[in-house]
Amino acid sequence: MNNLELIDVSKSFDGLKAVDQVSIGLQKGKITALIGPNGAGKTTIFNLISGFIKPDSGQILYRGQNMVGLSPWEIASLGIGRLFQDVRVFSRLTVLDNVLVAFKGQKGEKVMVAILGRGKVLSEEARNKEKALELLRFVGLAEKASDLAENLSYGQQKLLSIARLLAAEADVLLLDEPTAGVNPAMIGQILKVARTLAEQGKTVVIIEHNMNVVVEVADWVYFMDDGQIVSFGLPKDVLGDPEVRRAYIGL
Amino acid sequence: MNYLFHLLVMINIYAILALSLNLLVGYSGLMSMCQASFYGLGAYISTLLIMKAGFGFIPAFFLAIIGSVLLSYLISFPSLRLRGDYFVLATLGFQIITFAILYNWVGLTRGPYGIPGIPSPRFFTFSVDTVFSYFIFTLFIAACCALLFYWIGNSPFGRSLKAIREDEIAAAALGKNIVRFKITAFAVSAGFAAISGVLFAGYMRYIDPTSFTLNESIFILSIIIIGGTGNLSGPVVGTILMILLPEILRFLKIPDSVAANLRQIIYGLLIIIIMRYLPQGISGEYKFE
Repeated sequence: MNNLELIDVSKSFDGLKAVDQVSIGLQKGKITALIGPNGAGKTTIFNLISGFIKPDSGQILYRGQNMVGLSPWEIASLGIGRLFQDVRVFSRLTVLDNVLVAFKGQKGEKVMVAILGRGKVLSEEARNKEKALELLRFVGLAEKASDLAENLSYGQQKLLSIARLLAAEADVLLLDEPTAGVNPAMIGQILKVARTLAEQGKTVVIIEHNMNVVVEVADWVYFMDDGQIVSFGLPKDVLGDPEVRRAYIGL
Repeated sequence: MNYLFHLLVMINIYAILALSLNLLVGYSGLMSMCQASFYGLGAYISTLLIMKAGFGFIPAFFLAIIGSVLLSYLISFPSLRLRGDYFVLATLGFQIITFAILYNWVGLTRGPYGIPGIPSPRFFTFSVDTVFSYFIFTLFIAACCALLFYWIGNSPFGRSLKAIREDEIAAAALGKNIVRFKITAFAVSAGFAAISGVLFAGYMRYIDPTSFTLNESIFILSIIIIGGTGNLSGPVVGTILMILLPEILRFLKIPDSVAANLRQIIYGLLIIIIMRYLPQGISGEYKFE
């Protein structure tokens, strides 16, 4: 049973088909990898799912409901989380505040509550701080809680970004190149977090260029080229597909 | 002595204005050029309610806030969906329109003649009609406003505004309704600016539209650029400095004919120097880039 499903989704930019009749199924508890050369349309797929781009045609179903036409914040609040390729942490907020800001349905986000219900705000904050620290411990950033996010390393910012998604109760995690530009020790840490989240029943999707990573963590692989899904299946099958090897790895 | 307390009254009134604009510029990353509109609307709404409709000071005070908040939606609903630069232009337009209405709707506002004889605020039998009592009164109100701004700034609401300031796309991807947050911040800012207007009218006991011009909006903006934004101390430090600076110049025995121009030049220089060498202002937290 697919948790998130794209059915015949197409999107053109100035007549150029960036995504062409793509159908993808994403399952709970699995890590699905989206691979393919640069410009194949992988990030466009993420932009379509998270609502930053509207498809020209096709359906995007989450738990059977069509999400096409919803705005990004509405899609996010349904439980679709996104790790951006350029991370996008809130640089001049602390690590802890980056996580706190993400919690859903905070009463203190209403200005009248902020003004008239200070006591309520403080007790809500105390509870959320506990939860936020727990998430930071989970990704291994607890000691950095009071640092400004801009002072973290790139890999740490990616982990922070994942913690933020968890605070937002993301059920689907779209991770755009989570290991790119990250030192090898940190890559292990990020993959471990991704694996644990899948085991907890989350739907994890990664865009990945490092084939070792794909083989190591992915349960299912879609290979994209020129806006189309060319091949899909188990990692070893897709990577062994002669067409994939020719198009991508140049063999 | 009255001279000193007069300056302190002005500091209290302008501190509220600076704090209100800080919620937009420092917290939400929204540059607004129409703070003087809401300042003026607060002054005119309360004055007209008191003088033409016979309202007491306290109801007029709250109705002026509510009126400014409602009028803020007129501009925020259409313009906050736009990108940053267009929003600045929209606020500039609102500032010019508000001034034009106050200036030209002579039947209601007496236009350029202004409204004289505004009664001092009364609380039961006590009338706040000396400079000293007005200082205490405005100090109390300004302190309440500062406390409210502290609560707002240090709440999940204030934190979400800062997140939106840092990265709108990331905030949206976390489920934040950015337009709603900005509209609310704009309304809150307008409401507090109106408080300054009510206090100003009750203090001067005379208002005319020239107190609420684009120049005034720019002056309020320069207060927080120089003092700093993103926290409470920046706007307050900026207010004290910018209110006292012309008074210091007064003691330099510069002829009146050049003093006004010189003041503008000094303000301009100060802003340039601060933005170049101290982008977070004297005591602020948020850096202009």
